[in-house]
Amino acid sequence: MSTEAVIIGAQIVAGHDGSAELLIQLRHPGGAEGPVVLDEATGLKLMKTCGATHVDELTGQSWRRIVEGL
Amino acid sequence: MYDVIVRGGLVVDGSGTPGYLGDVAVQDGKIVAIGKIQGDARRFVEAEGRVVAPGFIDPHTHFDVQLLWDGAAKPALEHGITCVVPGNCSLSLAPLRAEDRKQVIGMFQQIEEMPPAAFTEAFDWTWEDFAGYRAAIEKSLSINVAPLVGHSVIRLWVMGPDAQERAATADEISAMQDMLRECLNAGAVGLSTSFVDVDENGRPVPSRFAQFEELDALSAVLGEYGRMLQIVPEFYAIDITIARIDQLAELSLKHNIPTTFSPVFDSTATPNNVARTMARVEEQFARGARVWPQMQTRPIDISFSLLRPSLFFARLPRWVRILRQPLEARIAALRDPQTVEKMVADTGADGGERMMGGLVIRGGDGAPDELTGRTLSAIARDRGEVPALALINLSLEHGLDVALLSASAGHEVTERIGPMLAHPLVHIGASDGGAHLASFSTYGDTGYLFSEFVRKSGALSLEQAVAKITSETADIWGLKDRGRLEAGKAADIVIFDAATIGRGEERPAFDMPGNGMRYVRAATGIDTVLVNGEVAYSGGQYSDARAGVVCV
Repeated sequence: MSTEAVIIGAQIVAGHDGSAELLIQLRHPGGAEGPVVLDEATGLKLMKTCGATHVDELTGQSWRRIVEGL
Repeated sequence: MYDVIVRGGLVVDGSGTPGYLGDVAVQDGKIVAIGKIQGDARRFVEAEGRVVAPGFIDPHTHFDVQLLWDGAAKPALEHGITCVVPGNCSLSLAPLRAEDRKQVIGMFQQIEEMPPAAFTEAFDWTWEDFAGYRAAIEKSLSINVAPLVGHSVIRLWVMGPDAQERAATADEISAMQDMLRECLNAGAVGLSTSFVDVDENGRPVPSRFAQFEELDALSAVLGEYGRMLQIVPEFYAIDITIARIDQLAELSLKHNIPTTFSPVFDSTATPNNVARTMARVEEQFARGARVWPQMQTRPIDISFSLLRPSLFFARLPRWVRILRQPLEARIAALRDPQTVEKMVADTGADGGERMMGGLVIRGGDGAPDELTGRTLSAIARDRGEVPALALINLSLEHGLDVALLSASAGHEVTERIGPMLAHPLVHIGASDGGAHLASFSTYGDTGYLFSEFVRKSGALSLEQAVAKITSETADIWGLKDRGRLEAGKAADIVIFDAATIGRGEERPAFDMPGNGMRYVRAATGIDTVLVNGEVAYSGGQYSDARAGVVCV
């Protein structure tokens, strides 16, 4: 089991302000899973940081990649 | 002789009890009698076949600026809203020193997307304190206003530039308490704060630098007046939102104050979030806390253009790569036939019909007016192109400044939302009226409540829906004179057709100062709106009545 949270899924959702947002599913150490929603700019940065051109390519990435995009 | 008698309507008095046929008599701005009323009046309003209800109350708006030149908060009033609560999300226009105006304008522009001319041409800055702002808007109100004071501006008043740098000292917190008292004495109905919002430079707004001790101290002042604390929690993360619910509950119990948070909205991608939120809310109410979740009625639409990269294309790797490029390179790529051919192929064998055909041209930008409101599918057919190609070419023809709308992309499943709205602890609100001007229309949520959740799905009865946005709102906010058709209450009355009340199509309007654009929706089914006994709107026209007040 990983010692830090990893991305196990991602999808595009509608944000409160009318923009497309990125919903990331994280699996935490210990097995708990939970979502976090990134705004459009942060979501795009995350994809760029991970070199992803499709949301499915985010799976398996460390949660730290999200922080790098903030 | 009465001033007004509203005759022969179905009186739905806001209490939630069944409506009944009757008349409503008004004198000196108050309701004086309800039932079968004999006698004469200066004006009769015929309401046969219509519903006669208390005016609707919108508890989450950002009309702070607009009210300075538009006392009706158009088009809110024509949707039956007779009272708005501005000053949400930690931002109000007072207290505000002259030297801090530019900074706060930037924060407002970030939230409201209002053109700069709105702050420089449309009114004179005659105030610094809250009483002065109240006097400035009171001159020409035709809608009632129950204003919040923003935590961020109180912080800025006391701490200056440090408000956006650090925690407050004990002396500064004490000074903020004094300022909050002054604002509450001048007519504020509570304090708003935010844990989310940013200014125009992406920096957290001042309220986000407060430690809990500061919020606790300010809540203590709210407790002296029994007034509301409104917050924007970290709604993007459900666990943090639940932690904020607990925090609000502690403040509510400790200081005996009502609290409210927003936005709360449903997403099929996170189908348990609202259920988890409500479970915690129910637990805290059971403890005696008042923590009201505000939920909007309208679905969430996604809008975007090719001017900026959008996550809308995140399932199309080639599109993402191209749209990430600087503008010049992006346009060059979109003009390259081979690249475009591959982009179109990426959208599927149908040329993007399934993926993009339902997108709607929004208007108000570079797109020609005749395309506004039409689907990409229909436009593509006219052009003899597939939708993906039409999107690219149309955008190129107008400097990429063509906004498209993907309608009902979130909070959109009526069968799920209806029971949520009907929940006795859900506070219907979060319209954001007067904000997000260039992104989407924030008007018509009340009409949508009736068209979608009363008529279409039956999740709420007519009487329940009326109660949700009148008496319940007034009770939650402590607006003692509002929200009910009852002798002695303010004569805020809306007369509408239960069969047709709703919201019109979203359309661009250029009615902001400096010809600034915003998206609006007209009302349907609203006949007449009275504010404090005077007809403010009737037959599709606004009157010259200026009977609105700052109400507490």
